[in-house]
Amino acid sequence: MPEEPKQPRLVSVSQALVRAAAPLVPRAHREDWQREWHAEIWHRWQFLFHTGEWNRREQWLLLRSAFGAFADAAWLLASQEAVRSRISEIARSPFTCLSMFAAILLSIAAASSGLHATREMLFSQMPSKMGHLTFIWLHEYIGGGDKGLPADVVPAWAQSSKLVSGVAGIEVRHRPVSFGGRALRENPLVVTASPTLFDLLGVKPAMGKFPAENGVVLDKRALMALTSSKTNVVGTEIRIEGKAYRIAAVLPGSFEFLSRQPTVYVMQRLSYEQKAFIVARVKPGISDERLNKEFSRIAAEVCSYYYLQGQMRFSTWRGALLTPLISFGIATLLASVIAWMAFRPSLKQIRLAFEPEHRRTAARRVLFFLSKTGLGLACVFVGCLEWSRSESSVLLASRDPGSGPFLLWLYVLGTMGVLFWAVADQRARCRVCLRLMAFPVRIGCPGCLLLDWSGTELFCSEGHGLLHVPLMAPSWDEEADRWISLDDSWKGLFAHEK
Amino acid sequence: MSDSAKLSHTAALILQTVDNGCSYGFDIMDETGLPSGTVYPALRRMEKEGWIASQWEAEKKALAEQRPARKYYRVTRVGAQVLEQSQRRYPLLGKLSQKSRR
Repeated sequence: MPEEPKQPRLVSVSQALVRAAAPLVPRAHREDWQREWHAEIWHRWQFLFHTGEWNRREQWLLLRSAFGAFADAAWLLASQEAVRSRISEIARSPFTCLSMFAAILLSIAAASSGLHATREMLFSQMPSKMGHLTFIWLHEYIGGGDKGLPADVVPAWAQSSKLVSGVAGIEVRHRPVSFGGRALRENPLVVTASPTLFDLLGVKPAMGKFPAENGVVLDKRALMALTSSKTNVVGTEIRIEGKAYRIAAVLPGSFEFLSRQPTVYVMQRLSYEQKAFIVARVKPGISDERLNKEFSRIAAEVCSYYYLQGQMRFSTWRGALLTPLISFGIATLLASVIAWMAFRPSLKQIRLAFEPEHRRTAARRVLFFLSKTGLGLACVFVGCLEWSRSESSVLLASRDPGSGPFLLWLYVLGTMGVLFWAVADQRARCRVCLRLMAFPVRIGCPGCLLLDWSGTELFCSEGHGLLHVPLMAPSWDEEADRWISLDDSWKGLFAHEK
Repeated sequence: MSDSAKLSHTAALILQTVDNGCSYGFDIMDETGLPSGTVYPALRRMEKEGWIASQWEAEKKALAEQRPARKYYRVTRVGAQVLEQSQRRYPLLGKLSQKSRR
């Protein structure tokens, strides 16, 4: 018989894990449970040792098995009636509902680097630095879409306008880019811009010098995508659609103009064949109407382009940045109207809520409803914004998928979902303690619909009342869901240990 | 039988393994390849339902062999009926039973 082995450290660790899990096990079973686990671990080690299979793999498998003691202990704990009813009580409480939304908000924040897009939209310092910046583009009367203006209006406006202190044109496309003989797998955003763009934006380069003509400027993301390092690339060659350019400057890491995607800026004079979106720095106190009149006049006189009233569209930087907020407002209003029409409370209910004896309970219910709806809408607002803007443009007039129709649709669906759920959830809660109703009981049979009542009855676990929910709500009955308050004499039926 | 309707394939496999003669938690894990976090809670549930019964081996015998006593499990009469139903529901289980008895 082989010599009795000394207990290895891993076996001791496994036994310690069992001891750590033991407090979860109900006291009545704890000793028995611990004995069983310790015996199993001991026998497994002995068996493997004596058969010569006690190797590293088996040691780790034993340790992994010991972790199962926690699952076993947790199951024993959760299978207790008192624990189960406590869990169910917690799950049904209004606090859990609000905590769930708070947890969703925190998860969104954690997954989106602390609500980057939302913070940028609401608290960004960029608009003040870039104050009075206006975007100008063309909107077709027929066919609807937005498009750029012929780029030769840019120098005409820059020279002749008395209302702006600077104008630049930009043309944005995804194009193939290669650097050092290596092509980027995904085509980056290439912005062809007038050389005055960065002066207009008031940005200073982090490396190099902004070029006067035919030079390339990289933003930090493009630099990382091209070189995977922070090496100085100023002066090196880069190929865009096969054409060679020199990198003249690199922008600071904090700079974001149109997009959070890697962006390569090609600084060159735009020809009349190119359709450009215009960025202009407008002097303070100038209205869009005056700007429109002057720009239309210059375009007609200098370039012979004739634009109809309202064909040119103007959007301030802040206005474009706040597009999601406006979209959200429209969506919330729309969803509120639809929800109100679908669930409008009867006058009788409103009158009842204002009665002195119900006022306090009604105030609590309204406060809870507003809190959960507010938190739910906040989740929709930041969730959709962070998701739609994670990679898409920060702003690009109404063409931006992150602030245009796509986001509006997301908001409409999200806000409707939240409002309809909030009303349905509110109806399924006790009118006094706001816990979700429990113990559903089916009453009647569907075939008795016309002759008798058929549906479900739910109780408040605290004995505050009873809710009747009909199988089919008749159109003539405004209050299909009937709440019956139970007085204190019923309490005994619902008494339970706290 | 309503009880067997509640029995998942994993639980049925564990019950079948106990019926095949694997009486200890870790043996069942070896035989089924399931982790301890699945096997033990399943054993607890089946014991609560009365499909299996557990018993400590004689303390004297274990002491004589200088080792801790083990708890072993066996299938009860109700458990055998549930297993029979499960074998109809999961036909491969029956084959497993024949194979191990051969």
